[in-house]
Amino acid sequence: MNPSIIGQMAVSGALMGLVYALIAYGFQLTYATSKSINFGQGELVMVSAFFSLTLMNLGLPYWAMIPGGLLFGALMGLAVERAGVRLALEQKSEGWILLTIILGLFFFSAAENLWGRDDRPFPTPISADPIHVLGVDVTRLELSVAVGVLAIMGAIELFKRRTLLGKAFEAVSADRDAAELMGISATRTVMLSYALSGAVAALAGILVSPITTVGPTMASALILKAFSVAVVAGLDSGFGVVLIGMFLGALESLASFYLGSGWREAPGLLLLILALAVRPTGVFGKAAIRKV
Amino acid sequence: MLQVEDLHAGYGASEVLTGTTLAVKQGALVALIGANGAGKTTTMRAISGGLKPSRGRVLLDGKEVQGLDASRIARLGLAHAPEGRKVFGPLSVEDNLLLGAYAHLPRFFGFRARARADLDRVYDLFPRLRDRTKQAAGTLSGGEQQMLAIGRALMARPKVMLLDEPSMGLAPVIVQEVFRTIRRLKEEGITLLLVEQFAKSALEVADYAYVMERGRIAVEGTPAELSRDERVIAAYLG
Repeated sequence: MNPSIIGQMAVSGALMGLVYALIAYGFQLTYATSKSINFGQGELVMVSAFFSLTLMNLGLPYWAMIPGGLLFGALMGLAVERAGVRLALEQKSEGWILLTIILGLFFFSAAENLWGRDDRPFPTPISADPIHVLGVDVTRLELSVAVGVLAIMGAIELFKRRTLLGKAFEAVSADRDAAELMGISATRTVMLSYALSGAVAALAGILVSPITTVGPTMASALILKAFSVAVVAGLDSGFGVVLIGMFLGALESLASFYLGSGWREAPGLLLLILALAVRPTGVFGKAAIRKV
Repeated sequence: MLQVEDLHAGYGASEVLTGTTLAVKQGALVALIGANGAGKTTTMRAISGGLKPSRGRVLLDGKEVQGLDASRIARLGLAHAPEGRKVFGPLSVEDNLLLGAYAHLPRFFGFRARARADLDRVYDLFPRLRDRTKQAAGTLSGGEQQMLAIGRALMARPKVMLLDEPSMGLAPVIVQEVFRTIRRLKEEGITLLLVEQFAKSALEVADYAYVMERGRIAVEGTPAELSRDERVIAAYLG
């Protein structure tokens, strides 16, 4: 085994793993406020990518498209909350599971009808020529994924810790009824978390599309990995998803190189099963600190 | 300041409150006492919006608030320190207090500076909280959590404060401290509705009291009147 090849494989895999981490982070955002997640999050990634592509086809430059794409993702997140989650939560039912899956299927069919079934290239001004860093080759495109993922996660985490609205987010997450007694509207907080989660999904789509192309099925593999990452790291682990995402990405890339590309999906599933068996709260999940 | 008229509320098909009527004047400390299951906490929850009343009216400063969301009622000036304290365990003591003032602080930046005077007032009242500003609220002792819950309610600068079972589960020494605090709040002119199991201590601090039985007010009067009432003595003060 050539160590430089291992390093190369691990690094490009880890950079892709950051996309899993970002989608997993989107799950965390809504889970924190409402203990619900959007099972159609992958379709949100996909329709947002298609929408962003359309914006560029209409003549918008890449950098001007990004805010538009994020806004679209946020609006789709709000739509999912309104149509699939709110009523179920009000009735304390688990109906959101089925409803968000159905909304995902709906987004999928809508995308097939609007944009067709073919995979399309997603143009980007960021160069795909490799540059040499510390003995491995990475492309600016791969680095842009890392920068984008860490920037949006950093910004949202700062918002949660430094602003009063962000603290209200955590209050709803800790005790919804008590937060209401402080004058914090739990419904609005959940809406905000779905909007943020949608924007995060849109960014994931914009970052990954130049590498994978855009198509109705582009997110189906991504979303499975994101689930694994979210569960393995823990649904309340914050930046834990970054480490697990990079780890899984690296592992996958090594598995497909050494064992054959058919083994690419194996590490994610193995990690998931292992985590559920050994540590269901996740590697970085916190057991609640509470004294009565 | 707070008026409750013929309030009916319950959980599902079972009606717990069957026509509760009470009033709290501005600056008064009113106690609500009664046996377990009489409906004291349900009354509090129906006032603050955690539970939607099926009938009756709740007037806060003359304005009807029954049926509104709890967050809306809180923004109109009602602070409820709930049974079991319900502090935000993973958040720091100071964050808990800041969230108490959520209704009148800026949402993004500069909220800490704007809350400074109110924070200092709470820390002066509860010096032990000042030593623990950065500590996670969930790791405080029960007594400290109760202080925090009261402080958090004070941060809202409420028109009316509801205090539900502040002495629950606390050691006798701490219970005394809680009642000293309640007396301080009263001296500061805060309008208070207090639910208490320790009827005797509650009547010592209250200006007026209601005794609840099976979902409605059975007896009411000043503490002096109630402590002469034979039924009240037999049931709650004996």
